[in-house]
Amino acid sequence: MDVIVTNNPLVSEKYKSRFRVDFSDTDLMGVFIHTRDLVHKGYILQTHPLTGGVKPNETFYKTVLLSEASAELDLQSLKIIEETILTAEKFTHKNLPEQYKNDMQVVDLSLISPVLEARAKQL
Amino acid sequence: MKLEVGYIQIRDIQTADKSSVKDGILYVNTKELEALALEDEHLKAVCFDVARPGESIRITPVKDVIEPRAKVEGPGDVFPGVITKLNTVGSGKTHVLQGAAVVTVGKIVGFQEGIVDMAGIGAEYTPFSATYNLVVDFTPKDGLTAHEYEAAIRKAGLKIAYALGKLGVNVTPDEVKTYEYPSIMEAIKKYPGLPRVGYVQMLQSQGLLHDTYVYGVDMKQSLTTMLSPTEIMDGAILSGNCVSACDKNTTYHHQNNPVIEDLFEEHGKTLNFCAMIITNENVYLADKERSSDWTAKLVDYLDLDGVIISQEGFGNPDTDLIMNCKKIEETDTHTVIITDEYAGRDGTSQSLADADPKADALVTAGNANQVITLPKLDRVIGTLDYTEKIAGGYAGSLEKDGSITVEIQAITGSTNELGFSRLSAR
Repeated sequence: MDVIVTNNPLVSEKYKSRFRVDFSDTDLMGVFIHTRDLVHKGYILQTHPLTGGVKPNETFYKTVLLSEASAELDLQSLKIIEETILTAEKFTHKNLPEQYKNDMQVVDLSLISPVLEARAKQL
Repeated sequence: MKLEVGYIQIRDIQTADKSSVKDGILYVNTKELEALALEDEHLKAVCFDVARPGESIRITPVKDVIEPRAKVEGPGDVFPGVITKLNTVGSGKTHVLQGAAVVTVGKIVGFQEGIVDMAGIGAEYTPFSATYNLVVDFTPKDGLTAHEYEAAIRKAGLKIAYALGKLGVNVTPDEVKTYEYPSIMEAIKKYPGLPRVGYVQMLQSQGLLHDTYVYGVDMKQSLTTMLSPTEIMDGAILSGNCVSACDKNTTYHHQNNPVIEDLFEEHGKTLNFCAMIITNENVYLADKERSSDWTAKLVDYLDLDGVIISQEGFGNPDTDLIMNCKKIEETDTHTVIITDEYAGRDGTSQSLADADPKADALVTAGNANQVITLPKLDRVIGTLDYTEKIAGGYAGSLEKDGSITVEIQAITGSTNELGFSRLSAR
């Protein structure tokens, strides 16, 4: 079973009927840490967590897709999520303007939609 | 495939009653261009400005930059499958209004970057401070979605550039260059002693403001494929890509890809340039595996000696880059990769989000986290409301004297990973 980890309400609303959605009102690091926890439980990353060119300190929203747990830890998934967290940590904190929240949700949804639509057809 | 490119040097852009190119001046009737742009039902208004090198002008947020070109002879016309009828381009003759550019501006989303300064220190970080720019600022109709607005601006900019390019069709070029890309068998026979080198160009293909189109096809829906580099000069690859501004290829970059230019320059002298491969950068990890597998398969099949790989963007494309590099190296083919770095403001952090010991030959296009202070300029075309607050900088990056402290990632083309920039190491 696939799991969407997101803090983007647009993604949650659009896909919650077709996927398990782990939605949380958290920041980007919260999304990445939850993703890492799932990887440690054997879930496999299906999308790269650093989607798009919007920097980790320039958006409130991020969405990651994982697939169901296997008996073994997937080392490639672990490497990617660990490098993602290291990369995100090096970006200086910025006070992002609240008025662009909706635009940020739209871009995050646009980056993940092609994968989720393709995946939904396969399920 | 053989393409003759005629370069017409443009030394100024001026508005006039009749559009034409005369004595190096590009005269434009903006009313006609406005009517052309507003053929798109999604656009409400369009505003034209001319920005010249050295003028105290800041343009932002820049969406795309396009060089006016048009075919004089040969099948098809520029921007095939999007603005003109679908046909295989890349042969015959093409005229270029060199030194001129169409710069499209539009706030598609609120947090967009993309600064082109025509003067001051910022001008040194973008190649588009050296071109005569027809800046086109588009206003969408009410209620338009971001996707519809993006598509409308992208197409209107291309239509304007094509209309200007056609003005040069009957003008005698100042310089003519011939680019010949033979079949692989011809290339092997012609230069048997030279190393056979290919170019793998990675194209970002992920969604809104992160897409690339090849003959009108959204590249995220394509497998890795091949084409002639001369097709790219005729606008076979188009940009829908502007976030982050520093390392995204505008359409102008594709039309003037310096990796292709330099490979042609060395072709028959030090190497045999005989393969142009394009591949995508998708979000889906399975796509990354599939596309890099395909890239390595093509390189292996073509039995190349060496490959140059250029990346587009930051973050997840680092994974595509390393996958391509590693898998191609495993076919016993040497690679050189071109990327840029996010090494932190002091340059000491790890530069890429992925790495491999096989990636041992790398050209960097600079550190996008480098901080710069841009002076206040007299005029702004577009809007500064985002740039002043956030882009590449931080809240409060706007100083009392009107200067802005930003990271160079906010500047269009500053760390372009085709090497189309002026940064160098000291």
